[in-house]
Amino acid sequence: MTSSVPIRPGWLVAGGIGAAVAAATAVGFAGWRILRHLDAVEVTGRSMVPTLEPGDRLLVETWTYRRRPPVVGEVVVAPDPREPTRELVKRVAAMGEGKVTLRGDSAKSTDSRRFGSVPVAKVRARAAFRYWPPQRAGLIPPSSVEMDPLTD
Amino acid sequence: MLNIRRLIHPTRVVHAHCDLPCGIYDPDQARIEAESCVRILEKYADSDDPHFKARCIHIKEERADLVIDHLDCLWHDYFKPNHKEQFPDLHDTFWMASKQASTVKGSLDVEEARKLLTMINRIGEMWTATGGPEKTRIQPQ
Repeated sequence: MTSSVPIRPGWLVAGGIGAAVAAATAVGFAGWRILRHLDAVEVTGRSMVPTLEPGDRLLVETWTYRRRPPVVGEVVVAPDPREPTRELVKRVAAMGEGKVTLRGDSAKSTDSRRFGSVPVAKVRARAAFRYWPPQRAGLIPPSSVEMDPLTD
Repeated sequence: MLNIRRLIHPTRVVHAHCDLPCGIYDPDQARIEAESCVRILEKYADSDDPHFKARCIHIKEERADLVIDHLDCLWHDYFKPNHKEQFPDLHDTFWMASKQASTVKGSLDVEEARKLLTMINRIGEMWTATGGPEKTRIQPQ
């Protein structure tokens, strides 16, 4: 290989640093894009027993419901219609015209039977993964069990 | 946005509640029902009347269920994640007390009921230390 310009070691170092900075920026940007849509929450209350126990810690994500509406059986985070600064974690029992009917998994749950349905636009986060306690860590699967939103 | 600190100490709480939290909490509710269990089991042991003994069992089981309900209410509605930093054994204490209340429900051993009382006293200490008496009872005018 012939070259009129000799390659100096300094160029290689500068190029290497430049590439590393570019790669770190790309990874950082991708990481930021992912982390921006993730959050950690702690569950309180027993209305989602046995799926979720009080003290469970979950990762919730907001990108799914930017792309599509919730699906019956998914576990979601939604504002409490009675007190909008509180957030509830419940399962989607039914989808209506722009409305979501929520149910707890426990028979003693207070949910849409009491406070009515929630506007679908308010349901932004999906409960995706339990990371604490470690022995019960794992994905939170959507329920395949048919739920009757009106009775019980 | 997720970060390591939020992962270790989530400050965002999502509620899976069973009723409307009214803001009034006192471990005495659970304690009185647990004391009932102790006294009922003493009376059960002292009695020779099968009808009375049957009623003791029935009512003691009701009272043990009430203990579980009252403990759940304190656990989920009163105590918050920051209390857990003050009392790292908070969840364990409640978990063991709930289990003990279930044990009392199914047991005729008065010692089990006394153990439950001790656990509720520990919960009462946490409630008092976190300002429960001032914050979650209506103060006399």
